[in-house]
Amino acid sequence: MILKKKVLSAVAMGAVAAMALSGCGRSDGGGSDGGGDGGGAAASPGITDEAITLGVTTPLSGGTAGPGTCTVAGLAAYMGAANEAGGIEFGDGKTRTVEIEAFDDTYDPQKALSNFQQNQGDVFAFTSGLGTPTNRAYREAAIDSEVPQVLVQTGDPIFSDQTESPWQLGFVPIYQNEGEAFGELLAGSDGDLTVAILSQNDDYGEGYVEGFKEAISGSENIEIVSELTYEATDTSVDAQLTELAGTDADVFFNAMSITPLVISSIEKSRELGWSPSWFLPSNTSSPVAILEPAAADAEDGFYSVSFAKAPQSPAFAEDEDVVTFLENLEQYAAEYTTTPDFPHCMWSYMVGATLEEAFKNMTEPTRENFMEALRSIEDLQAPLMLEGTSVNTTEDGQPAVSTVVVQKYNGQGYETAESFD
Amino acid sequence: MGAQKTGLLRTPWFQLTLALVAVVLLVVAPLLLPIPVNQTLARIGVFAVAVLGLNVIMGYTGQVSLGQIFFLGLGAYVTAYGVENGWNIALVFLAAVVIPGVVGLIVALAAARLGGLAIAMVTIALPIIGVPLAKRLSDVTGGSQGISARFSSAPDWTGLANDQWQYYLVLAIGGISFLLVFNLVRGKYGRAFRIVKENEAVAGAMGISPYRYKVLAFTIASMVGGVSGFLYMVVVQYTSPETLAFHHSISLLAAMVVGGAGSIIGSLIGGIYYVLVPNFTNEVAPTLTSLIQGAILLLVLFILPGGIASLPRVLRRWTGRSSRSSPPASSPPEASAPSSDPSPSTPPNTSPSTSSTTPPSTASVKEDSP
Amino acid sequence: MGTFIQLVVDGLAMGSVYGAIALAIVLVNQSTGMINFAQGGMAVLSAYLAFTFLGLGLPLIVAILLSVAASFIIGALIERFLMRRFMGRAEDTQVVVTVGLLTLLTGICGWLWSYNNLQFPSLFPSSAFTFLGAAISWRSFGTFLAIAGIMVLLQLLFRQTKLGLALRAVADNRQSASFAGLPVGRLLMVGWGLAAALGAVAGALVAPRLSLTPGMLDTTLVYALAAVILGGITSPVGVVVAAWLIGVLENLAAVYVPIIGHDLKIAVPFILLFVVLLLRPQGLFGRKTVVRV
Repeated sequence: MILKKKVLSAVAMGAVAAMALSGCGRSDGGGSDGGGDGGGAAASPGITDEAITLGVTTPLSGGTAGPGTCTVAGLAAYMGAANEAGGIEFGDGKTRTVEIEAFDDTYDPQKALSNFQQNQGDVFAFTSGLGTPTNRAYREAAIDSEVPQVLVQTGDPIFSDQTESPWQLGFVPIYQNEGEAFGELLAGSDGDLTVAILSQNDDYGEGYVEGFKEAISGSENIEIVSELTYEATDTSVDAQLTELAGTDADVFFNAMSITPLVISSIEKSRELGWSPSWFLPSNTSSPVAILEPAAADAEDGFYSVSFAKAPQSPAFAEDEDVVTFLENLEQYAAEYTTTPDFPHCMWSYMVGATLEEAFKNMTEPTRENFMEALRSIEDLQAPLMLEGTSVNTTEDGQPAVSTVVVQKYNGQGYETAESFD
Repeated sequence: MGAQKTGLLRTPWFQLTLALVAVVLLVVAPLLLPIPVNQTLARIGVFAVAVLGLNVIMGYTGQVSLGQIFFLGLGAYVTAYGVENGWNIALVFLAAVVIPGVVGLIVALAAARLGGLAIAMVTIALPIIGVPLAKRLSDVTGGSQGISARFSSAPDWTGLANDQWQYYLVLAIGGISFLLVFNLVRGKYGRAFRIVKENEAVAGAMGISPYRYKVLAFTIASMVGGVSGFLYMVVVQYTSPETLAFHHSISLLAAMVVGGAGSIIGSLIGGIYYVLVPNFTNEVAPTLTSLIQGAILLLVLFILPGGIASLPRVLRRWTGRSSRSSPPASSPPEASAPSSDPSPSTPPNTSPSTSSTTPPSTASVKEDSP
Repeated sequence: MGTFIQLVVDGLAMGSVYGAIALAIVLVNQSTGMINFAQGGMAVLSAYLAFTFLGLGLPLIVAILLSVAASFIIGALIERFLMRRFMGRAEDTQVVVTVGLLTLLTGICGWLWSYNNLQFPSLFPSSAFTFLGAAISWRSFGTFLAIAGIMVLLQLLFRQTKLGLALRAVADNRQSASFAGLPVGRLLMVGWGLAAALGAVAGALVAPRLSLTPGMLDTTLVYALAAVILGGITSPVGVVVAAWLIGVLENLAAVYVPIIGHDLKIAVPFILLFVVLLLRPQGLFGRKTVVRV
């Protein structure tokens, strides 16, 4: 027995010693110490002359796994195709392939931070991950270690504020922008309109409502008659719908991010005989995944904001971008998903294109240089982007995509709406 | 392996040396280990303390609590709030322990009247109501965007890096928590807890008020939960309503049982399990984490229904069996255990060995029931 | 008044969803003495099976019946090859095994069918009718009736049939049941099988409403557990009535009690539970059990 214990402790000691000796020891995983050994061009972790490694920490299991999986799928599809074509030629003249490493954080902030800490030594930059709390959980750690956390899929404005977040950049429009776009459309209409609001009880819902209210403030013809919230974990919003239907408002501003709840809202309001015009956020307005299953009547008027082409929409069935996107998804992202039911699949595909653009302008294989290159993209028309929208990273306070187009459902897909009617 | 050698293993000197070696290792390790390893070790400490708290109420006292994560979250929020408002850090720590303790006491005063499943349902309500409540109190909690508090950077005089400093904070506070709980469950309170767990009617007949001890255990569990919340902020430095989501409570419960219910060392193993298994599944297949984690949990319990802490006991039984070369089917398991083993009838506090930290519980007595 | 009635009707519809899972939990508990946290996960798996059969071109009702049969077998096998190992173990170990099972099943569903929302067709028409000024969808009405029917069947099973009596005897005291000559092992398998089959029916009933995802019933499970304890775990009727009560009261509280509101309505079942348990520890309709030393 003693022998056994001794052997055990020897093994343990040996393991500790081995870990200590195995090169890295106490070396810093961050990129700030590049200057010490041989000039500023010393490569940051996660990049060699042949390859660059990107990390995505995002929910791949649990309640938000659907959209979470999509945040990797599109990126994997884009980079898979780029690698197949021989890799991306960087600004320093070297052609590199792009490796994507996905980590499941189950939407748990603590796990997101853990994924960051455990992998920042091998990953050049973290990107595309979904979720406000999860991205916030490692935001400050990323700043401390000077690791890029860019093009993340949250509309939380803090990620696009350069003073607060020097190593961050959001990708999708901040929630306020989307609400604002619809508010402006309403404010520009002629008639008197009453509005009922239902929003998710978090920064997502609040952001939408805030932007919307800002846009309609000062417009005499718009009146908000009722404002309710729901929880993302709720399984039913019938009570809210019943309450809101009682107001018989003309417009229903539904800032909701949960697919089944949007479907049941549409069904429930029909049952209750309430047929307002609808506003739906960009991530829950898919014709195929939401409006068709809910048998939405285009006559009611379903408005949404978007910057991505909807692959399932017949209007884009022949679209070159969409065809390539679906092929790439099938070929390179089968591990994640091949059906882009959530717009995050398209968004992460655009993230891929935006990253490629940044890589092309990178003259040094360092994280600093990457951030510089990333922050100087102007009017990039990434694949799948709608006309009138583009990637623009030069404006402080705004994410990579800040322009959205208000659209109206025509029974099959969406078309750009010039006015509210 | 004869009884003599095993006896030597249990001499106080040997135990002391072993403990010393362990302490030295724990203290020296972070100076040598890479940053991510230190961060992982610190995180293990956080959740080991959380599991330890759960063990006090569930493992030792037998009251199913599905609300432990709420106390971790509460401790974390109190810490974040205190730091944000510039309180002295000692005061912050005190508040992060006392406030969850008081809340736990109030809940327990009502809930401890209930038994069995009812107390499980009342405790499940804590995180479930806690999440929307944390969002509603957004002035204090930062709402759904959460709140960060960075107070655990290494002070200059230490000459340590942040990861090392955080590790030492966790080691010191976590270590003291473990020692205190260890003493608690070995003493007369621990005995009372166990009697309450085994049979409340018997406890009542012995003059031990099950109600009082349940309230006591629950309050202590809440305070230990508060400690783990403070440590959570030391290591993670950020909290949001997601931190106290109900399913984390279930994961803590799973970690406790996998480690070994009613076992101090099992709490530590539980913390290791809670932190390392998600890391491991991320390495194997990030898209199949749920599947693999479920399979691992079932596999571990299938092999060791008493948790990983019961491994030495199981091994000893096996080795005992093989050294006697007795026909495996005929010898009852109890008989084949080495005589020096703390058998269920031995009062736990008479044996100085570390293995007495695994007190005889119903689980260990019933080991071989079909 | 119109709003009030509508809220009650909506509450009954949602309560039926909670009740469906609650009944399956009761069935397992009354026949094996366990609380199965994986009950919702098993129902989701059954719904996916039905969805797959449907994809093969079978009519909906046939697909559901096939999935019910398959679920019975799966439930029995889970009992025999997984849960049996933990019979007589500490209660928390058993609970954690079912938690592990839930995690595993969720993972399997996500792996095989993805985490996307799948549209599961309803057995009932999607239209609605008006009654007392409240709009009632046929789907909700059908679910309500089906749950009420299953509730009565279960009550009869446990109170009036030999099988039910035998199941309860095994759950109560395996040893004496065995001495009395009951085939204990087979009865345990039947208990789990029946619960899984019932879960399959529940899954098919609620999937159209919730839309099929691996975590479809996670929140529902919490409500179902609350209903089980509130109603009294020994009484199928009590459990369903409690589920309805929870559904109705949470809706009314959300709308008419400002301090609760829609964000804290999930507190309602627990406040209710707490008050009731302090007065009646065995639940609204449960029978008292006597603890002997």
